[in-house]
Amino acid sequence: MYLEYTINYCTNNTYESLVKSAFWQFLIQPETNETQELIAVEFKNSLNIPHEFSINGYGFNSIRVTPKKAFKEIHFYASFTLKKKEIALDLIESKLTIEREMNILNSLYFKVDFESFLKTTSYTQLQNNDRNLYLFDWSLSVLKNLQNLNSWVFNYIKFKANTTTVNSTLDEVITIKHGVCQDFTHLFCAIARLNKIPARYVSGYLHQGNGYFGDSQMHAWAETYVPSKGWVGFDPTNNLFTNSNHIKVCHGKDYKDCAPLKGVVFALGKNKTSHTVQVLSQQQ
Amino acid sequence: MTNIENKIFSSYQKDAALYDEIFDSEGQVKEVYQKLFSLYGEHSIEDYVNLNSKAKASFFNQGITFQVYGDKETKEKIFPFDLFPRIIDPVEWDIIEKGSIQRSKALNLFLWDIYHDKNIIKDGIVPMELISSSDNYLDQMKGLDPPEGIYNHISGIDIIKHNDGKYYVLEDNIRCPSGVSYVICNRTALKRALFGVFNHYQTYSVTNYAENLLDLLETVKPHGVDIPNTVVLTPGMYNSAFYEHSYLAKTMGVELVEGRDLFVENDFVYMKTIKGPEKVDIIYRRVDDQFIDPLEFNADSVLGVPGLFSAYKKGNVTLANAPGTGVADDKAIYTYMPEIIKYYLKEEPILNNVHTYHCSRPDELKYVLDHVHELVIKPVDEAGGYGILIGNKLSKKEIELAKEQLKANPRKYVAQPIMSLSVHPTYIDETEEFEQRHVDLRIFTVLGKDKEFVLKGGLTRVALQKGNLIVNSSQGGGSKDTWVLKSI
Repeated sequence: MYLEYTINYCTNNTYESLVKSAFWQFLIQPETNETQELIAVEFKNSLNIPHEFSINGYGFNSIRVTPKKAFKEIHFYASFTLKKKEIALDLIESKLTIEREMNILNSLYFKVDFESFLKTTSYTQLQNNDRNLYLFDWSLSVLKNLQNLNSWVFNYIKFKANTTTVNSTLDEVITIKHGVCQDFTHLFCAIARLNKIPARYVSGYLHQGNGYFGDSQMHAWAETYVPSKGWVGFDPTNNLFTNSNHIKVCHGKDYKDCAPLKGVVFALGKNKTSHTVQVLSQQQ
Repeated sequence: MTNIENKIFSSYQKDAALYDEIFDSEGQVKEVYQKLFSLYGEHSIEDYVNLNSKAKASFFNQGITFQVYGDKETKEKIFPFDLFPRIIDPVEWDIIEKGSIQRSKALNLFLWDIYHDKNIIKDGIVPMELISSSDNYLDQMKGLDPPEGIYNHISGIDIIKHNDGKYYVLEDNIRCPSGVSYVICNRTALKRALFGVFNHYQTYSVTNYAENLLDLLETVKPHGVDIPNTVVLTPGMYNSAFYEHSYLAKTMGVELVEGRDLFVENDFVYMKTIKGPEKVDIIYRRVDDQFIDPLEFNADSVLGVPGLFSAYKKGNVTLANAPGTGVADDKAIYTYMPEIIKYYLKEEPILNNVHTYHCSRPDELKYVLDHVHELVIKPVDEAGGYGILIGNKLSKKEIELAKEQLKANPRKYVAQPIMSLSVHPTYIDETEEFEQRHVDLRIFTVLGKDKEFVLKGGLTRVALQKGNLIVNSSQGGGSKDTWVLKSI
């Protein structure tokens, strides 16, 4: 059973003074993986500047735009059509004993192979006195612990837009206990990594038809590596396992690796940027 | 044997505790220096001063200057140059050359491994923290195969001679090692001033560096390119090494470019020229990793080229050195070099490493605690010389304090024997005499596809202040021409 989605992404950028030189790199194109297949891509901008499809430093699809004339305003529109598999939740507990799972997590080979997703980054740094914020119960399996962590994060932070920014650290998030998907995901990843479980930050789109929290922009969630099961997706903003409403674009250590739009713009004065995202579904 | 009855050396004072490059322990002039010594001895100190000032003028005239940052008025300075050369005999050189190649190759294999399977870590030879906690380890380089598998195309290896007469490596520089232009300019200046002396020795040329560099860089051209187009990428004229960047571009016969002269289109790199875009295949970049591409690394960089890393990742351009090489010249990696060489090459290291005691290992901690007075103790995680304790400069009370620190947190420290850099007679302006000054030596090694090149010479840096061990040009260091002899 497949779902078909159309994702519309728009961004408007206006500048106080004339921009003579700019470079943009978008990381907004859904990847093709076991659960989803990208069918069509449309990309346009208001100045009709040609764009290029490429990959970023981590190998994810990127779209680059380099205007060759001066401007004060530019709009970008992207539209992606995608097939998504209905995901049957595999909640069957791992056949491994808890002891065996622990042995795997503690083995040198495992730590080396998953080194990127076990290390602390500036976005996933917990202060010393916050390291005991949530403790794992090692009489339970890794999967069960992660599920409990997911619920805990969901309850610990209240979803509220505009209380944090893309630069907020976990410290600030923990203090105000409000945030958006990015903050939920960073906290989830930080605690999973503290417990030696590889966790990666995922950027993508959420189909919000079911009344989930996300925003009208891009969404973020986490994937953790559970021995014997592989990568399992958790959406702590909505207290869910990821499902067929989650459309993945890319993953990384934290937001910094996945920023949807990177730009180098040589402009004086103020600038304004706005984004809108729309995810439409059509069951097939 | 020649006795010291030499006009210009009549007042040369020798400190018996130091290893002198010219005089042996009995005060005799070593064989390789004898000819030079007697030739110089025919002249008075006035002749020497006269020639030295002419040589300096030639540096100014050629524009071989550097800028010292932070001075009240920015002033172009010449790198102080000393007309008395350093001579290395063929037997010693052979060891240095083989040792430098061995080290560069081992570092290259190490870099390949830590950006691919990381077997050296899985096998427990090098701890994982060394890469996971290093700011110079670039995740973007994981799984990326640089053209022909070469990461550190150019290495600058700093070696010293200790008072046991053996060479030791102090540092491997494999980001953007500089100084090679001074090697060549020192030679030019010396030959101009003292051709009559130079002519008495069979010395290897150093002027072939640029052609060898270009040849080897061309062996690692991107796949599918027939005749590669190479450029030198500089941060610009305000960089302290700008002279070198322009010198290398000029002598290689390639364009010198800044980031704004290049652009990326459909993952290929082009240079803007008056005849239109020209594709670029190999970039010898003298811009640091974090600044090469603002879309991938430091977004504030105006020195780089947006999209350059994507072009590199797609294999359409060669960057020399490869991004992310800096992880292998971290201080902590240095201490594992002997193990790294044995692991990848199954060979014993040719050049010595300064022995490092890891206080995390109980037996080594015991040795360190018993010998604090003769060791340098360094915190493993501090950069820039902070927290370093030099054993023979500590009071009894300080030694006890240091021992407490070591016992409380052994993992945090390593210790090394106190190294004594050899000294070389150097003409000192203030006293108008030759005096002993500490020297080191930077060796330049180039790796290409199945080929390597070591510049037969090197940059001998001199600490011009008496007793000082710091040879950096920004710290008042000078340099000497370095002669590698074909035969004695």
